[in-house]
Amino acid sequence: MENLIQNLKVQIIEQLNLAETKPEDIDASAPLFGEGLGLDSIDALELIVLLEKNYGLKIADPKDAKNIFQSVKTLAEYISSQKK
Amino acid sequence: MVFVTGIGIISAIGKNVSETLSSLLESRTGIGKIHHLQTIHANNFVAGEVKYSLQELENLAGLKNSNYNRTTLLSLLATQEALLSAGIEDITTHRTGFISASSVGGMCHTELLYEDFLEDKSPENFIDSHYTGAHATDVAKHFGISDYVTTISTACSSAANAIMLGARLINNNILDRVVVGGTDALCKFTFNGFNTLMILDKEWCKPFDNNRKGLNLGEGAAYLVLESERVVKAENKKVLATLSGYGNANDAYHQTASSPDGQGAYAAIQKALQVANLSTDKINYVNAHGTGTANNDLSEATAMQNIFKQNIPPFSSTKSFTGHTLAAAAGIEAVISILSIQNKTIFPNLNCKTQMEDAVLFPVTNLQKNVEINHVLSNSFGFGGNCSSLIFSKN
Amino acid sequence: MAIYINGTGCISHQNTIDVADFFENAQVACQQRLVAQEPDYKNYVPANMFRRMSHVIKMGVAAAKISLQQAEIENVDAIITGTGLGCFEDTDKFLRAIIENDEQLLTPTSFIQSTHNTVAGQIALLIKCHNYNFTYTQQGLSFESALIDAKMFLNENKNSNILVGGLDEAIQPYFDLLLQAGEIKKQEDIIVEIENNKTKGFCLGEGASFFVLSNEKHKNTKAEIKGIKTFTSLKDGGDLQNKLSLFLQELNLSVNDISLVLSGNSGDVEDDKILNETNRNIFSQTNIAYFKNLCGEYFTASAFALWLASAIIEKQEIPTALVNKPTQGLLIKNILILNQYRNSEYSFMCISSC
Repeated sequence: MENLIQNLKVQIIEQLNLAETKPEDIDASAPLFGEGLGLDSIDALELIVLLEKNYGLKIADPKDAKNIFQSVKTLAEYISSQKK
Repeated sequence: MVFVTGIGIISAIGKNVSETLSSLLESRTGIGKIHHLQTIHANNFVAGEVKYSLQELENLAGLKNSNYNRTTLLSLLATQEALLSAGIEDITTHRTGFISASSVGGMCHTELLYEDFLEDKSPENFIDSHYTGAHATDVAKHFGISDYVTTISTACSSAANAIMLGARLINNNILDRVVVGGTDALCKFTFNGFNTLMILDKEWCKPFDNNRKGLNLGEGAAYLVLESERVVKAENKKVLATLSGYGNANDAYHQTASSPDGQGAYAAIQKALQVANLSTDKINYVNAHGTGTANNDLSEATAMQNIFKQNIPPFSSTKSFTGHTLAAAAGIEAVISILSIQNKTIFPNLNCKTQMEDAVLFPVTNLQKNVEINHVLSNSFGFGGNCSSLIFSKN
Repeated sequence: MAIYINGTGCISHQNTIDVADFFENAQVACQQRLVAQEPDYKNYVPANMFRRMSHVIKMGVAAAKISLQQAEIENVDAIITGTGLGCFEDTDKFLRAIIENDEQLLTPTSFIQSTHNTVAGQIALLIKCHNYNFTYTQQGLSFESALIDAKMFLNENKNSNILVGGLDEAIQPYFDLLLQAGEIKKQEDIIVEIENNKTKGFCLGEGASFFVLSNEKHKNTKAEIKGIKTFTSLKDGGDLQNKLSLFLQELNLSVNDISLVLSGNSGDVEDDKILNETNRNIFSQTNIAYFKNLCGEYFTASAFALWLASAIIEKQEIPTALVNKPTQGLLIKNILILNQYRNSEYSFMCISSC
């Protein structure tokens, strides 16, 4: 899990071009959207593609992404739950 | 005061005004299976394609080996009809301009050759026709229009802004006559772009329906001939409608999404009403932007509720016929608004069945005839928060 | 009605952020591609917006911010931009992704930033401007279209402040496209005196120039825009000269009132013919300077020329890079910008002291 969280942080920084942010700056439990990293709806779409590209997971309706994308931790949990 | 003396249109529901009117009267949508656009998604989506190949469009225009791309040919065909309908034979008798609009210009051609370019295979020169303003140069030249030529590119509100600019050029006594509108051809670039935003409905779009899933893309072109009072009087011209109001405002909320309260839309409508010097109760019909996306329709509905309060006029989104034709949309919907006034008819919003939970309004879903329509409001909103409203009035 | 330039911001191949440095150290450039000297954008753009911005968006937003700072205002009644090419970096990026991934696994960011009005929209977002917001694209007349609209807007809305800008980027794939189309001058053909070229082609430039305009004078007012006119179908040099005489007449000016001509020679021997003929026939006694060997040729290079004219009038000094004869003591009252793009689009602008 820790590895997955670490990888996700690096991938998110790259995909969303968060050049000023380092992986250790991201609190795995902090909200990704609104507060915390301050991401928006466009970033959510970028993350949906990241999930498909890197983990083969498809989210058909952006509305479903809301719960999954709460934090890096919820994202990691979703990925590992789908892999089982 | 600015007068509309000519209209021309080509879209998924017809290659001219009369075919367009028939489709509207018969509630026949032009949205269907994709035939012309070369995309791997063709079998999974529907779109409002113009039902002609590039070659067929060139034949329709009476041209040979023109090298014009789809965007330019659509523009040329609609302009030709508009000029004919205005009875203009000699373009040089008045100071005449051409104000067009497009979002991606020659992209439909560029994207076919870009791979060769990237692989260093030196394809034919496509950069000159790629520029979004290039079609306007070619079409204006074709019809001998030279007093003022320009192109507006403000995404999906572009043609509304072209129409607005034309009216201002006449009101500022810079031009006497101006052809205004917009053109956009379907292309892989925009198709995939909207697909990444996950706002394409794979089936027919359902504007203002609670279960709406997104928009259908379309293509086409439409132009109006606007003339000054002086020209109309001097030549005793037949007037189709007046352009009585216009307004542009910015939502300044998000690069693509509309604000939940529709602040930009509200301001644009209010400005248009001010210019037309009309109170809200004078509007008999609203041709809505109504793309069918969750975000647009709620934001537009909220803006309409805030403007019209309890008395929301009959409204419909005719994008359920044509698809969303992007920079051409406001031109196409201007022509439809004028047809509505001329034929005393409100054209329906197709596919809408369930009222939105978070709004109190519901569109016109059946053709309504013999309605006295004095003033139509037409809305168009685009990326970059760009919001525009036009008001067409019975002369 | 007078149109005053109350603030300017320019990013170009020269150091136009520091005006004093520009007047002293501007240098004629002799490269095929003249990229912009960029400021530290963090001074102008918040980090959360910065991360998505392409080259032209950054240039545009920064130039707009600088012009607002100079005019000492925070918001405006209209934002009007002109761009011939639009946001090509993002367009190229999305096109490549479509091709490389066969229309699959694409992300939206470059698509949504590829529309021509992205910069005008981003400025509106940044300063929370809910007002009029237009973007023009008409090749070599894109900036002029914006300025003509600005003039009308000020006529319709007295006492307003508006932001007008011209911007285009010379990113690598666009340069490669022009190179392939044979529009770029061969490196060995590039010479310092742009007006004396005997060869085809031009050097591609880029930049963003923004102006805060108003009917009202301000303590920082730099100059006045007296007139602007555009043409698309010229018959020949005589035609341009007639149109120029009419233009000056309308402004109640004679050739002798023009202190300086900024001539938009691109360095292409064919395209520059009409301008050279006009300069010879009409302005044989007038100071003529060329600006595209400083900024390069691009669709909105005339916006750079307007920035330059306004700076020259404010300082009452001509940068040494522009003229090879001494101009001390010269009273610079009216500057005429004569521009052309690919010998198919022409414009006149007259800028005066006030």
